[in-house]
Amino acid sequence: MSAEQAAPSYRRQTRPPPWRDVRVLRVAGQALFLVLIAWALWFLFTTLLTNLRALSLPTSFDYLEQPTRVDIRDTDFNPSQPVKDALAVGLLNTVRVAAVGIVIATVLGTVIGIARLSRNWLVRRAAALYVELLRNVPVLVIIIFLYTAVMLRLPPISEALEIAGLVVFSNRGLNVPWGDGVGNVGAFTVALLVVAALAIAVARWRTRRSDATGEPSHRFLYGLGVLVAGVVVAYFALGQPVAFTAPVLDDRRVTGGIGLGPEYAALLFGLVLYTASHIAEIVRGSILAVPKGQTEAASAVGLTSWQRMRYVILPQSLRIAVPPLANQYLNLTKNSSLAVFIGYFDLTRITQQAIANGNPAPQAILVLMGCYLALSLTIALFSNMANRRLALKGSR
Amino acid sequence: MTRYTLTTLLLVVALATAACTSGGGGEAGDDPGLAGGSEVAAGAPSGESEADTGGSGAAAGALLEEIRSRGNLLCGVNEAVPGFGLQNQEGDFEGFDIDICKAVAAAILGDAEAVEYRPLSAEQRFTALQSGEVDVLSRNTTWTASRDGTEGVDFVTTTFYDGQGIMVKADSDFQAIEDLEGSPICVLSGTTTEQNLATRFADIDYEPVPSEDVEVLLQSFEEDRCDAYTSDRSQLAGLRSALPDGADSVRILDEVFSKEPLGPAVREGEADLFDAVNWAVLTLIAAEEFGVTSDNVEDMTSSEDPAILAFLGQAGGVEGAVLDPGLGLEPDFAVDVISAVGNYEEIYERNIAPLEIPRELNSLYTDGGLLYAPPYR
Repeated sequence: MSAEQAAPSYRRQTRPPPWRDVRVLRVAGQALFLVLIAWALWFLFTTLLTNLRALSLPTSFDYLEQPTRVDIRDTDFNPSQPVKDALAVGLLNTVRVAAVGIVIATVLGTVIGIARLSRNWLVRRAAALYVELLRNVPVLVIIIFLYTAVMLRLPPISEALEIAGLVVFSNRGLNVPWGDGVGNVGAFTVALLVVAALAIAVARWRTRRSDATGEPSHRFLYGLGVLVAGVVVAYFALGQPVAFTAPVLDDRRVTGGIGLGPEYAALLFGLVLYTASHIAEIVRGSILAVPKGQTEAASAVGLTSWQRMRYVILPQSLRIAVPPLANQYLNLTKNSSLAVFIGYFDLTRITQQAIANGNPAPQAILVLMGCYLALSLTIALFSNMANRRLALKGSR
Repeated sequence: MTRYTLTTLLLVVALATAACTSGGGGEAGDDPGLAGGSEVAAGAPSGESEADTGGSGAAAGALLEEIRSRGNLLCGVNEAVPGFGLQNQEGDFEGFDIDICKAVAAAILGDAEAVEYRPLSAEQRFTALQSGEVDVLSRNTTWTASRDGTEGVDFVTTTFYDGQGIMVKADSDFQAIEDLEGSPICVLSGTTTEQNLATRFADIDYEPVPSEDVEVLLQSFEEDRCDAYTSDRSQLAGLRSALPDGADSVRILDEVFSKEPLGPAVREGEADLFDAVNWAVLTLIAAEEFGVTSDNVEDMTSSEDPAILAFLGQAGGVEGAVLDPGLGLEPDFAVDVISAVGNYEEIYERNIAPLEIPRELNSLYTDGGLLYAPPYR
């Protein structure tokens, strides 16, 4: 009897009152935290709204439909087009610099990272010097230096270099031959994509065959052959939809071809040089993180130092390198906003221009943040996909 | 798993939004950092009052009182335009717009030196004014309809009538704007200059080369990245005088293709401050009309002319007693203003005449210009 009475009281003790129950407290704590955040957001939002209204400033996003009233270089953009079109041009320009920059910075960074581990004293020291020099200088300084001290010091237009009638080179840019669409460009683009897919498929088939039979794959040669043949066939089959023009220098003006402006070049190379110094350190670190036994084992089976790096060390170090690399890609993309200082028409510059021309700053910056957030999340998405693919099976 | 990802995403977006909503005011709050050590720290306690004005836009109309209790005027200025707003090698600010700041400080506080200058970029200036970072913007700012309408600022009387022009190298072949077909043109970003350029060149093919940094832009022009440099003509004259190759290395084309009335601005809804700043400016013009200068202002306080006595806040004026027009200023504020900075002509001679800009529109109406002060009575 007394034992039965003791049991419930014991059970009651295992379920303490809610204000002492860890599980309840945990949920309540998180709920409280959420409420606090929501309250803070609401407070900031209403403060902004009150202040905007007090100053009779617009609180809507109607400005996106207003005419831009300024020009954008190197486009067909018309000042009467709405602000949102200008932002689209800016986004495209940001992507142009970020995508190209990421590719070049990765290649350069990997080469320098490997060079830092070289047995050659000179190579090793030169790579270390590069990293220490560029990593420790603000990227804005590098960009402004490249623009004012390198790009602007190229020959002026009156002394422009003309090479074989194909290239015009001055401090107003590098102009090279380029194709202008004169026919069915859409169909030609689709044909190019099909040909590229075909070339990749052929290269893969060669790889599989090589794996199965042991005969040399020559996948690169096969792929390239298919690509060139396919492009030529498509070009003539569609009635030459693209006309090629070479740049021509006429007094102080260059017509025809396509130009790579000094602003784009300064921004691109500034970002690449800076980011590559960080990527080099990531590459070096992730190579050193591969256990030494792997190198020794690779040497033991008779691989050359190139093969050892290519087939044993780099694939394993890539797994370690992906998360910090993605970080650097994000940094490069966001640093491209420094374009404002040298007048490259990126997303930030177009936004600042819009603000300066009487469009509401809070809304414009909100849109700007949204755009960068979207870009960053896209990069994060790809890096997560790569990470998942590279992760060791069974690991988390 | 997906549910948590979504929640995280939402949180991230929410945080980004929060960071941004505060960004409206916070953006300007970053400016002091940008301006860095170049500020002339005239009053230490200004930090506190800034936070006040930034947070409470609701307490409108009280800014004049706040300036009095704070004891100094926060003036948003230019730091790199010779003649108008320039920080010299001793770190002091000088120029036409700076003297306007001094005149306003003398009118409100009786002390022309009680000014804290805040160098602002073209892009920062309106946000700085809206958020209370500065009390008065005196930074060669063009008065336009959309700025009145959407930037939350009120422009007082125009202090300098300007127009946009184009500068080319002296040894180039460009004689008129039409010759610049296909040319790259350097232009300061974040200004009405960029819009005027687009308007004037609507039918002419050109390539805008913008930068928000005057130094970078000037270098682009000198290195021939651009064929021309466009800005307000007063700024062109100022920049020209500072070129390393001398003012004769460039040529300013004759055509003026915009109206640029430049003047101080205050935050919208600050009626008392608006009146004070407006009359500080009008006093400079009225003083020139009356012939009152910094040299003779003491003598003029015992003038025979009742209109001058009223203007200088002396007894025995038009009404017999001291005239207080109710501007919220001391009755004799004009004496403080004129003895500190002189009249309009003196300010012009001191700052702008060295740039060899003729007065033209910026003369008194009696000389065929546009300067006209309402009667002081």
